[in-house]
Amino acid sequence: MADVTYREALRLALDEELGRDQDVFLMGEEIGRFEGSYKVTAGLWQKYGATRVRETPISEEGFVGAGIGAAMMGLRPVIEIMTINFILVAMDQVINHAAKIRYMFGGKVGVPLVIRAPGGAGAQLTAQHSQSLEAWFAGCPGLKVVAPATPADAYGMLKTAIRDDDPVLFCENLVLYNLTGALPEDGDGLVPLGRAAIAREGTDLTLVAHSYTVQRALRVADRLSQDGISVEVVDLRSLRPLDVDTVAASVRKTNRVLVAEEGWSTYGVGAELAARLQRVCFDDLDAPVERVGQAEVPMPYAKPLELAALPLESKIEAAARSLLAESGL
Amino acid sequence: MSEELTMPRLSDTMEQGTIGRWLKREGESFHEGDVIAEIETDKATMDFQAYEDGTMLRILVGDGESAALGAPIAIIGAEGEEVPADAPAAASANGGGRDNGAAEPAPAAEPEAKEAKEEAPVATATEEAPSDGGGLRASPIARRMADAGGLDLRTLAGKGTGPDGRIVKADVERALAGGVKPTPAAPAAPQAAPPPPGEGDEVRELTPMLKAVARRMAESKASVPHFYVTSEIDMTRALELRAELNDALADSGEKVSVNDLIVRACAQALVQHPQAHRSYVDGHHVYHSHVHVGIAVALDDGLIVPVLRDADAKGVRRLAAETRDLVTRARDGKLRQSEIEGGTFTVSNMGMFDVAAFSAIINPPESTILAVSSTVERAVVRDGAVVPRKIMSVTLSCDHRACSGADGARLLQTVKRHLEAPTLLLA
Repeated sequence: MADVTYREALRLALDEELGRDQDVFLMGEEIGRFEGSYKVTAGLWQKYGATRVRETPISEEGFVGAGIGAAMMGLRPVIEIMTINFILVAMDQVINHAAKIRYMFGGKVGVPLVIRAPGGAGAQLTAQHSQSLEAWFAGCPGLKVVAPATPADAYGMLKTAIRDDDPVLFCENLVLYNLTGALPEDGDGLVPLGRAAIAREGTDLTLVAHSYTVQRALRVADRLSQDGISVEVVDLRSLRPLDVDTVAASVRKTNRVLVAEEGWSTYGVGAELAARLQRVCFDDLDAPVERVGQAEVPMPYAKPLELAALPLESKIEAAARSLLAESGL
Repeated sequence: MSEELTMPRLSDTMEQGTIGRWLKREGESFHEGDVIAEIETDKATMDFQAYEDGTMLRILVGDGESAALGAPIAIIGAEGEEVPADAPAAASANGGGRDNGAAEPAPAAEPEAKEAKEEAPVATATEEAPSDGGGLRASPIARRMADAGGLDLRTLAGKGTGPDGRIVKADVERALAGGVKPTPAAPAAPQAAPPPPGEGDEVRELTPMLKAVARRMAESKASVPHFYVTSEIDMTRALELRAELNDALADSGEKVSVNDLIVRACAQALVQHPQAHRSYVDGHHVYHSHVHVGIAVALDDGLIVPVLRDADAKGVRRLAAETRDLVTRARDGKLRQSEIEGGTFTVSNMGMFDVAAFSAIINPPESTILAVSSTVERAVVRDGAVVPRKIMSVTLSCDHRACSGADGARLLQTVKRHLEAPTLLLA
């Protein structure tokens, strides 16, 4: 099969799941006739009709709530939030309802709901439209939070998420939509939630990332390899459940770990991993766990400031080199 | 609550420090940030600041005495507080002179020390600190590997290559691969025992600075493949330019020296010859992006090399002013650590000593050093006629791992061209 874009991989997964299961339906702003702000739902409204590809008013709290209700009644809604920044108006639905219902009803009813939302920055969309908020949700029991970095994982994990009986926040990244990659030739292509992947093997340093930052990490690993430094890149893929075992196995091999993420570092994915790793890998570490994230500011509009705030490859590389220098490498 | 002040690490290479003088006497109080002592390291005299408010209760290491890194040098606490009975006594009370309780543990067997030991166990205190390993910084994996490999991490104390001397995995790997405990195996050539001092000879401990010079120079000569390029430079026009400059500057009190012109010429030349301005480090060439020129300054008994930063970006007057300031403070022992680090090239000028020629030892990781001899009037042939000219001999020492003979020669050619056509120095 020819390489497809991340966008097409998502579209394909939605198309196949809509075709496979009559209970699956889509809901969101401009996802029908307009085919979605980022064209992920292209052709689906024409193919499946307005009942199964439902357009909504600008009313995130309303349609997320409607999705939760539908899921409780046995349907499998896939809701598109135009960008993750807009999920904040539906926060009560996500945190207080979707994540809590299985517990509040004593396990008698679940919420098989998927919320898709792209995040990320770099297009001068400034402070309110450039956020990477996935770590906030990953801190909430009752939710699953995933953030695939490749077309194959986007395809396989979206299908798995739709078939999951609990709410899944499916985090995409605006910069990833045009990334191309192969889909699996055979099998159903399903990718389990809660499992990290080794995106590149190495021996000197473990570089952990998720979503678009994995692509940055791979380029940093390329650059460092020219200096004879061997970097292992771990793609977390899921943030909750978090696959600490895979990361720890890598750290036991390399003895050094750097976590990079596009969101803020404070209370972020790196913070969580640092806490877990210092416990399970204490005797394997040759240097403190290091992390790189967005500058601790609202994302600036001005291009030079935006670049300064982003965790670009140059910053990840510098952090990696400085960590390796602490180990005399 | 009283606490011990210990000898701080004030330079990367220091192993012990000497108290230049205490600025706070016993019973005197001080505030956070006050300078309470001047401490001589192997490189410079540095201020030791209090990190909290307090009172000096007892000085353990007196003016002029030395102590190892981390060894207690004083006890501080609250005003009027009693020094606890188990606190160390002053080192001098233990019959110690310079260096008591320093690199080697104080000998505990001296008869009068034995008595003192009952109430004030100086020797025990300094011996125990390293032996319990509590102060040893090592990464967890380094500790685990040392354990598994049967390596006593204490043998690597002070040799760690991580931050603040932390022992890291690579250090343990090297030690284990070497198969020897870092207590050095017998060197290939058996080291000659030092000759016993002759009748009436005086044996003196080296100052920290002289120890550092001795160690670094021996390392450089032993490990850096030196080669030398010598040239003669006609300084007649440069000296005329200098006289003219100094006439013009007479009112301002500024003065430009021959050395300032040489530094200027070198800085300009280094920019033009990157291959002669790089260091060899662990199989890599490090190309220096800044021209930081060190100037060797002779002290009464010692040597220090303050650094003119970004010398290529500075004119002759500015170089002269900065050099004057650095040399003055070098002689007063008032240089800051940052002012004696980071050089990428050194000028060693012995012109004032009527020297015909000499070659200098490279100051690693720099790869070149210029030895400047005296300028003398000589008869030379110009355009077929014998004329008197002022000639200066210079010798460039180069690290052959960093630059070739031709690289060194080209650098020297440019220095010569700029000094012989000295308007270039002003360009």
